[in-house]
Amino acid sequence: MIEVMFFGQLTDSTGVSSVMVEEVANTDMLIDMMKMRYPSLASSKYMVAVNNTMVTENTIITPGSKVAFMPPFSGG
Amino acid sequence: METKKVKNIFTEGPVEATFIADSIAKHATKTSIGGHSIFLGQVRADMIDDKQVDAIEYTSHVDLALETMSKIREDIFAKYALTCMHVHHSLGVIKAGEICLFVFTSSKHRKVAIDACTECVERIKAELPVWGKEIFEGEGYQWKINK
Repeated sequence: MIEVMFFGQLTDSTGVSSVMVEEVANTDMLIDMMKMRYPSLASSKYMVAVNNTMVTENTIITPGSKVAFMPPFSGG
Repeated sequence: METKKVKNIFTEGPVEATFIADSIAKHATKTSIGGHSIFLGQVRADMIDDKQVDAIEYTSHVDLALETMSKIREDIFAKYALTCMHVHHSLGVIKAGEICLFVFTSSKHRKVAIDACTECVERIKAELPVWGKEIFEGEGYQWKINK
């Protein structure tokens, strides 16, 4: 299983802060899957991190990974 | 080594003035220090479309934030001759007027401490996965945007 986490305003778009999904090969496939499940994600701005590493290109997801979808940061 | 350790920076609730005072007092024994620089972020009661911001609720991707902060700390220590640096960021609901960010740098001389403090604050705002939800008086909210 893979844990997909949503943060900030993305929790409004998806209605959840985390969801477990079956194995997915890579981040491109996971992003497509999440956009199908939560259509409003398609118009949202976000960055993706796999196991606490920010990724900008398609990245392999190993079973048991945690993948985070994060909108622009607004700390401080 | 102080610069390599992953330190917790998050506190549930506001950073209290007494905590800041204690933190300053603790440095009295470090007599090589000649200058401190402190940044305090305070929650502002903005008016947005006739609604007043009552509080900001902060959430974070804590594991990633701590790793990122560790990298920022390493970079800052490599660039500036600091004696020490302390960072505290609030999580949870922080009311207008309360302190949500405390950055404290110390060095032999003022310029290093001031420049390091400024750079640290800018990097925290740009790079840490933290989100603020501005909660309006009465009801409603909007997500904070960092400028």
